[in-house]
Amino acid sequence: MPDTGADAPPALSLSGLSRSFGDTRALDDVSLDIREGEFFTVVGPSGSGKTTLLRILAGLDRPTAGTLHLRGRDIAGLPPNKRPTAMVFQSLALFDHRSVGENVAFALKMRGVGAEARRTKALELLDLVRLPRDYHDRPVTQCSGGERQRVALARALASDPEILFFDEPLSALDYRLRKTLEVELRDLQKRTGRTFVYITHSLEEAMVMSDRIGIMRDGRLVQVGDPATIYGRPRDRFVARFMGEVNVFEIAGGRLPAFDAPAPAQDGWLIVRPEALAPDAGDVQFDATVTDIYRLGSRVQMHLDTAAGTLIAELPASTRLAEGDAARFGFAVADTHRVAE
Amino acid sequence: MRPGPLFALPVAVFLAVGFAMPILIVAWYSLMAPRTFDLTTVFTLANYRAAFTEGYGQPFFWSLGLAALTTLTCLLIAWPTAKVLHAHAGRVATIATALVALPIFVSESVRLFGLSLFLMPGGGIFAGSMRALFGVSIGTILNTKFAVYLGMVYIHLPFMLFPVLLGVALIPPDRVEAARDLGAGRWQVLREIELPLALPGLVIGSLLTFVLCIGANAEAAILGGRAITVVTTAIEQRFNYAQDWPMGAALTMLMIAVTAAVVFPALARVDLNRLIRR
Repeated sequence: MPDTGADAPPALSLSGLSRSFGDTRALDDVSLDIREGEFFTVVGPSGSGKTTLLRILAGLDRPTAGTLHLRGRDIAGLPPNKRPTAMVFQSLALFDHRSVGENVAFALKMRGVGAEARRTKALELLDLVRLPRDYHDRPVTQCSGGERQRVALARALASDPEILFFDEPLSALDYRLRKTLEVELRDLQKRTGRTFVYITHSLEEAMVMSDRIGIMRDGRLVQVGDPATIYGRPRDRFVARFMGEVNVFEIAGGRLPAFDAPAPAQDGWLIVRPEALAPDAGDVQFDATVTDIYRLGSRVQMHLDTAAGTLIAELPASTRLAEGDAARFGFAVADTHRVAE
Repeated sequence: MRPGPLFALPVAVFLAVGFAMPILIVAWYSLMAPRTFDLTTVFTLANYRAAFTEGYGQPFFWSLGLAALTTLTCLLIAWPTAKVLHAHAGRVATIATALVALPIFVSESVRLFGLSLFLMPGGGIFAGSMRALFGVSIGTILNTKFAVYLGMVYIHLPFMLFPVLLGVALIPPDRVEAARDLGAGRWQVLREIELPLALPGLVIGSLLTFVLCIGANAEAAILGGRAITVVTTAIEQRFNYAQDWPMGAALTMLMIAVTAAVVFPALARVDLNRLIRR
């Protein structure tokens, strides 16, 4: 077990990391400590710099400024093959000219491990990622999407890395398979006790797997926290919107002009989650007409036409409201969250 | 509608008349008595025996050896060149590629005479410039085996470069990054990832260069003086000066056999479709 005591150095310590491409700052002064054994996910829209960040962590790119320490050791100048880390690529980057076993044992071969020992280790890794052992000698080109995913994972694990990086490896898979692999990945991380750094544009994916989440925007890390904090107490409207559909109301002079009701602060914005809206409830109430209903299984999402514009509400599927119904909706100020910007 | 066998008729007729028939006739001549000009049914292996006993080993050795050495040299030059051209694809690379391709449009003999002028002793372009500019008198490599080798590489490099460039384009950059990430050093990346993935291009380029080199004789004639007799020159002499068609035919057949022995095993190793499909 790695030392996870309070004074142990963080698994990865980033300080002031920046990367410019010409005039563009793809990464802008990112500082962050990733703890030993945690599942850390970086979330951001495309172009937010998260891939650049991961490539710098893996050594595939160099920062233009800043430092990078792995367990207290400066690794900023180390090439990728000298870093005790491994990456699962978005494209998977499997070696199509090699068999499954040769792919998995590649890192071992590079270290000069003998053929017999490589085979033994590769078979163990196939077990670990739940691939049948007889896949060992198959061409990797004959594997399905989910199987290729597992081969890539086993290949990264083979180098016995101190930290594993994931560059949106599940984005190309269908919904069900993605859900299965999310849970398996989380499970694998717990079983191996390794530090995982994962990047994705899907907050949903991040919520399921992560111990902590970092939100990136325009090359900056705007908020870091555990999933509950990020979801319940977003730092600003960007993070709130990124976490899912939300209703945002401006606060002016200590009031909510949209409803002519008192606000919990002098200014800023009030974030109201769709599930906080309910018929005939709360201390801020307003008239609404249901314009659209979308069924989400156990819940329904509805669009409400109100004096404050179109709002989104989420109710249990048992609701009797139908499209075109008029109702009085409301929310409790205690269930909302106020942000400054 | 899928193209039927009839679509292959033009090329089949052309190959039968232009390729199969001449080879058949040459094969027939190679089995005739020495210094005869008739095609009869009296067969003999005398010419083949002579090919192995009467000093034709040297020309064969030079042709094959030069071809192998030239192919290897071109491969060693073309690989890094192709990597650079591929990595910096854009205006500069396009211009550089065009400059490499340009000499192909100039007659081979013209280029070789140019090289010969450049290398001439005393008044040649290189030696003359050295003396005029620096007062240094230098010798020349003209009329040596090295000059022939230099000319062979010079003439055949483009035939290697373009297939190798295609091969290099077959290497996805993320595979190289993945290999590096998994601990592969630069040589390991070359051996485990780049060379296997670029193999179709390398094989095609090598075959093209090797086969062209075996058939080449202008380099030896123009740059080599009498330093080397290559097998094509030997064959030409049999047909022309010596007026010994059967002997020339036998040497030709041996050349074809040697070439086939190199080409077919190499071709069997590569998946040509990979080069075309992508």
